[in-house]
Amino acid sequence: MSNAIEIERLSYRAGKTFAIEDLDLHVPTGSIYGFLGPNGSGKTTTIRLILGLLRARAGRITVLGDAMPAQHARVLAHVGYVPEQPHLDATLTVQELIDFQAAFYPRWDQARAAELVSRFELDAGQLFGRLSKGQKAKLMMLLALAQCGDLLVLDEPTDGLDPVVRRDILSALLAYVSERSATIFISSHLVHELERVCDWVAVMDNGRLIIESPMETFKRGIKRLTVSGAPRELRDAPFRMLRRESENGAGESWVVANWEPGMLAYVQGLGAVVNDVIDLDLEDGFVELLRSFRGSAAGRTTP
Amino acid sequence: MFQGVDPRSSIPLYAQIAERIRLAIANGTLSSAASLPSVRQLAAELRINPATVTQAYRELEEQGFVEIRHGAGTFVRELAPGRRARERAQHAAALVRKLLAEARRAGVPLAELQRALESELGVKST
Amino acid sequence: MIRMYRAVLSTQWKWARLVIVLGTIAGFAIPLVSIQGAAPPDRGALQAQELLHAVQSWGTLYPLLATALGLLVAIAAWAADHRGRHVHALTLPVPRWQYVLLRFGAGGLLLVAPIAAVLLGTLLATLSATLPPGLQAYPIALTVRFAFALFVAYAVFFAISAGTARTAGIILGTIAALILVQVVGGMAGIDVDLVGTVQTLLLAGPGPLAVFTGRWMLVDV
Repeated sequence: MSNAIEIERLSYRAGKTFAIEDLDLHVPTGSIYGFLGPNGSGKTTTIRLILGLLRARAGRITVLGDAMPAQHARVLAHVGYVPEQPHLDATLTVQELIDFQAAFYPRWDQARAAELVSRFELDAGQLFGRLSKGQKAKLMMLLALAQCGDLLVLDEPTDGLDPVVRRDILSALLAYVSERSATIFISSHLVHELERVCDWVAVMDNGRLIIESPMETFKRGIKRLTVSGAPRELRDAPFRMLRRESENGAGESWVVANWEPGMLAYVQGLGAVVNDVIDLDLEDGFVELLRSFRGSAAGRTTP
Repeated sequence: MFQGVDPRSSIPLYAQIAERIRLAIANGTLSSAASLPSVRQLAAELRINPATVTQAYRELEEQGFVEIRHGAGTFVRELAPGRRARERAQHAAALVRKLLAEARRAGVPLAELQRALESELGVKST
Repeated sequence: MIRMYRAVLSTQWKWARLVIVLGTIAGFAIPLVSIQGAAPPDRGALQAQELLHAVQSWGTLYPLLATALGLLVAIAAWAADHRGRHVHALTLPVPRWQYVLLRFGAGGLLLVAPIAAVLLGTLLATLSATLPPGLQAYPIALTVRFAFALFVAYAVFFAISAGTARTAGIILGTIAALILVQVVGGMAGIDVDLVGTVQTLLLAGPGPLAVFTGRWMLVDV
């Protein structure tokens, strides 16, 4: 199966304002797929739909080759999940939570669980409710990893945690990935963390997926160009214009996506001159992309 | 050796890693038959995708710098002596290209750059 | 499956153990205390009356204990799930109905303890007491009735708590509203016996809830 997760024309509604319409999403098997988007864009809802916690109005969701939510009991045996909010019982101890989880997963790796307890420096006898935020996150990751699933679905697993904890969690996750060829679906606001780890990136905004692309391609294509002498209208531009601003004095600054070096010819063909092409990192690209998306959605066009 | 690998740079991560290993081999930091860190170890340490490390190692193998022995690890190969010198020269050329590009961007004229270079080198040689 | 049941049982025990222990003690104590009125057999007919009266008064505790145990163990089974908004249970690789059954079975097993306590208590009470002539002890019948009442209460409250918090809230809210209307009506002088009507409907009619009504007599004619 080439895609660990496949979503086709998904539609979901909650209340009067929130809606996901016609969502298409494909997570290649074995990839580390980063899921970006502002709060309220529908990321957590999409994750809940993938796991069968919510029911869609229309569309198809296939996880590890089986339909969700129809086959959820079979599929979830191979899926590790770390939710945004701690979902475990505060009155149980670390060891009790581990033992409980172990009973439900046929592929449970007790050795890995024990190794992570010591690596994460967790006290097996401590109540979950008394753990710090970072320790809770570590335990939830531990449980997901010890299940030895083929797919890990992580909803902001390291957001809001201190740098030391983030490193520990990320290292454990990557060690797991290098030992078992698992697929990782990770949603996060920590763009720089995703940048170093993900080979695919998807951006969601307002219930819609606006980008789904290999990380390298996306990053390579996001550039800031300083251009002079360009006409107001750019007909049939092969790239995606995200922002166009006049610089004081000479020329304009363009932020574009999907840029390729060959496109210089197109710009020159307009009678313009490209003075510089600067690479932008993922965070800059992400911000500009969202700004442009919101701008065009509101009916405004930047001058 | 891998300090400052920059995921935000436009140079892909695997290329940056491969570059540093090549350099280490060229200037003798990594001697022949030395073993490189395992994919798992390096990925966890640098907190990057293991596939990235694998890609770097594969590129190095294709270029003839290392040998991947399945199950045992990745080892530096014995290099022809001219090879090391060539690598160092290539690295120096890349540094110069970078300097020239930055100077151009900052608007520093070539003549001034040359003067600065000579005075810096002059200081070092006395 | 056995592994899963054991895991569910051990967490359920942790959550319900205080209730179970107290309920077991109470189940053991009530029969003994209710019989203590049986003094040495030299007082004749009056003693029998006193005994029956004591047994009947104490007997009202059985349905109360059954209801309380059923309620508290059912709540203990699901409180953690509600706190976590069901996320953990719903992402386990078992169908929901199977998980519900596991929890029900675990609670059921724990409730054997108070039933055994009632059995022991009633047997001990009837064996150690000297009954006035004409009176019989019914330890087994009483225990069976208690067990039945306990499971009915447990099943009802379990079904309510296993649902979403919203369903449980609606049901409890309706009950509270009925009581409130009756109290307010009573204060305003309007004789509206809603609670009584509902009670009659639920408890008097033939059905499992009828087990709670009537007298619970360990010793009777």
